[in-house]
Amino acid sequence: MNAFKLLFIALFFLILTSCSKESDEKVDETGSIILKVVHTIDSQILKKDSLIYKNKAGNEYLISNIQWFISDIELVKPDGTTIKPTIDDGVFYVDTDLISTCSIQLPGLPSGEYIAFKFTFGLNELANTNYRFVNPPESFMFWPEYLGGGYHYMKLNGKWMNQDGQLAPFNFHLGIGQNYYEKSNGLTDYFDFGQSSSYTHCEGFNPPYSLPEVSSFVQNYFEVSQNIDFSVFQESDCIIKLEMQIEKWFDGEQSYNHNDWGGSIMQQQNAQEVARKNGLSVFHLSVDNF
Amino acid sequence: MFRFERHLLTIIFASLFIFGCSDKDNNTESFKAAPYLIDIPFPFPTNLNIPSDNPMTVEGVNLGRFLFYDGRLSGRTHPDSLMSCGTCHIQSNNFEAGINHPLFQGGYVHGISGEKTTHVMLPLLNLVWNFSGYGWNGFLYADNPDPYFTSIEDFVRIAVTAENELMGDTIQVKNLFQHIDGYPVLFEKAFGSDIVTFDRIEKAIAQFVRSLISTNSRFDKYIRGELQLSQSELNGYVLFTTEEGADCFHCHGGSANPLFTTHLFYNNGKDTLFGDQSDRFSVTGVEIDRGKYKAPTLRNIAFSAPYMHDGRYKTLDEVIDFYSSGVQLSPYIDPLMHHAVRGGVHLTIQEKADLKSFILSLQDDNFLVNPEFSVPAKFPDDK
Ligand code: HEC
Ligand code: HEC
Repeated sequence: MNAFKLLFIALFFLILTSCSKESDEKVDETGSIILKVVHTIDSQILKKDSLIYKNKAGNEYLISNIQWFISDIELVKPDGTTIKPTIDDGVFYVDTDLISTCSIQLPGLPSGEYIAFKFTFGLNELANTNYRFVNPPESFMFWPEYLGGGYHYMKLNGKWMNQDGQLAPFNFHLGIGQNYYEKSNGLTDYFDFGQSSSYTHCEGFNPPYSLPEVSSFVQNYFEVSQNIDFSVFQESDCIIKLEMQIEKWFDGEQSYNHNDWGGSIMQQQNAQEVARKNGLSVFHLSVDNF
Repeated sequence: MFRFERHLLTIIFASLFIFGCSDKDNNTESFKAAPYLIDIPFPFPTNLNIPSDNPMTVEGVNLGRFLFYDGRLSGRTHPDSLMSCGTCHIQSNNFEAGINHPLFQGGYVHGISGEKTTHVMLPLLNLVWNFSGYGWNGFLYADNPDPYFTSIEDFVRIAVTAENELMGDTIQVKNLFQHIDGYPVLFEKAFGSDIVTFDRIEKAIAQFVRSLISTNSRFDKYIRGELQLSQSELNGYVLFTTEEGADCFHCHGGSANPLFTTHLFYNNGKDTLFGDQSDRFSVTGVEIDRGKYKAPTLRNIAFSAPYMHDGRYKTLDEVIDFYSSGVQLSPYIDPLMHHAVRGGVHLTIQEKADLKSFILSLQDDNFLVNPEFSVPAKFPDDK
């Protein structure tokens, strides 16, 4: 048995060393990356439904579940060229309630060194089309046509202790935003009327009197890019940890106070704006060595 | 349609695989049942929950329909002790009992013994698209460690044997059907053997239940561009799918989730204390799951009264009033019920009317009378 093993190892080495020259030139050597997605708060793995967190604005809060999309993954080589993993449609769904979605396999990548990792949080304008997913759980992420259509970039659901001492639910849902025509409906301070442009209504919809009319839509997805050295090998998977540091959605460039924004922000472009700014520092990539 | 064809191929393959092997019980000559084709209109899901050991066939669905409606499924033949799935699951009432049921006052059903069911009814439609468990609390689910509580097939056994349903005995039932003229030959056609087993009874009925598909409501036709909805329906649609409107879509779907349910479990804020021993918590043991139930589909909802798992609301108006101003905040409420701090979504009278007319546009009249789903005019032993 041992002799056999030895022989194998010897053979293996022979092949490796004897062919090393050739394999340098080979272009079809590929390997895989496994992207392990983890959700943390204050560097600790998220403990769901536990009222143990506090943001910089002073809100005590808990997180129940998170669903989100990662897309347009790009790997940058030392010479500046980029590699796009070609798998499925390149849009990946992550769900804290579905363990299997937190491990994303990216096969068929040219082996060698890389210096940066890029992706889109959510879906870009071209990818974010109605009905692109007909099957659950992705289809459950749809973003209503009236609000811009396509899909939620993220649903982050939780509760916070509000100014009245209630444990109030919040839905930190990100996606396409809207600008609204001004109307006297008592909600005006929620809406951004700054950049209203052409009338881009969905056909057939005539908004009810009580709902403000949409004047234009705003793309709120953003690109995440991080310099990180890693290598893809033919023999073993390269494991990269992608950490969503949840607290940074609220404690980033602009502090996010749930008491200011309330429980729902799909129709509050100003809140989406804060999320987009803060989102740039939410993600952190690292190489897992083992 | 491309997706549909791919699915068709799967069914054919599955059938070949299953039926290609000769049958142990009886004849060895190979037989073939015709694959049952499910038409999947866009944008309904293309993934179907059909177990690999029970592919749908025309013959299987046909047999299942007879069994579903045959009162002798209780294992008895006396006219007073007949009961079938169809006794409670009535097509014209969205496969629920309905509040107009002659036997079950107010739609509260009970079994042959007179014992009430734990909860009110759930409709039987589009279950072929449900992957997250059956029953109000999802007590039957695919990866259940208990292999007898996983599927619609298991629901058949449970319904047949439960004291608050058919209160039958599986051996008695299969023996009875073995000796009813016309049935063995249907088993032969469906399963390649005229031996009646309870396993085959389960499979046939489950196939029929999976065939109950509703995809032709006014709203479906609107999405397919076949008709225009009324202004009130459209206003209701916008309300249904906006957070600052009525905010129903996260749990009950919309155009891109035409099932009008996620089939998932939520606590929608009806109470602050949760004492029901058969809620989601009773299945998962997870504390936060107290008071959670499946969000039912809103298709054909007009016929699903009384509403909620305990039937506390008699009309759709009461349900809408609840979501408008009766929502109660508790530590168990689902985060998606973020309007709870205000007691609900606060709709005006006009908005309530619009919301209701939208919900009613999800009604599929054809489904409620489709002859393929209805009580057979004749049973196999009828002359
Ligand atoms: C006594 C009335 C009654 C009879 C008879 C009956 N059911 Fe039901 N059925 C119910 C009730 C009540 C529920 C809701 C159960 C729950 O979850 O508490 C239900 C639920 C179901 C469900 C789950 C639906 C879902 O969305 O999860 C299926 C499947 C089902 N029944 C199939 C059958 C079949 C098949 C038969 C015949 C073998 C049958 N039932 C006979 C009353 C009945
Ligand atoms: C947080 C998820 C959630 C939201 C949001 C929600 N529902 Fe529900 N809905 C549920 C659940 C869960 C049930 C079943 C609860 C039970 O049985 O106790 C239900 C039950 C219903 C029922 C009764 C169904 C039946 O067969 O008995 C109707 C009708 C309904 N909802 C309509 C609506 C409408 C209209 C809205 C928007 C105003 C809405 N729901 C918002 C989760 C939700």
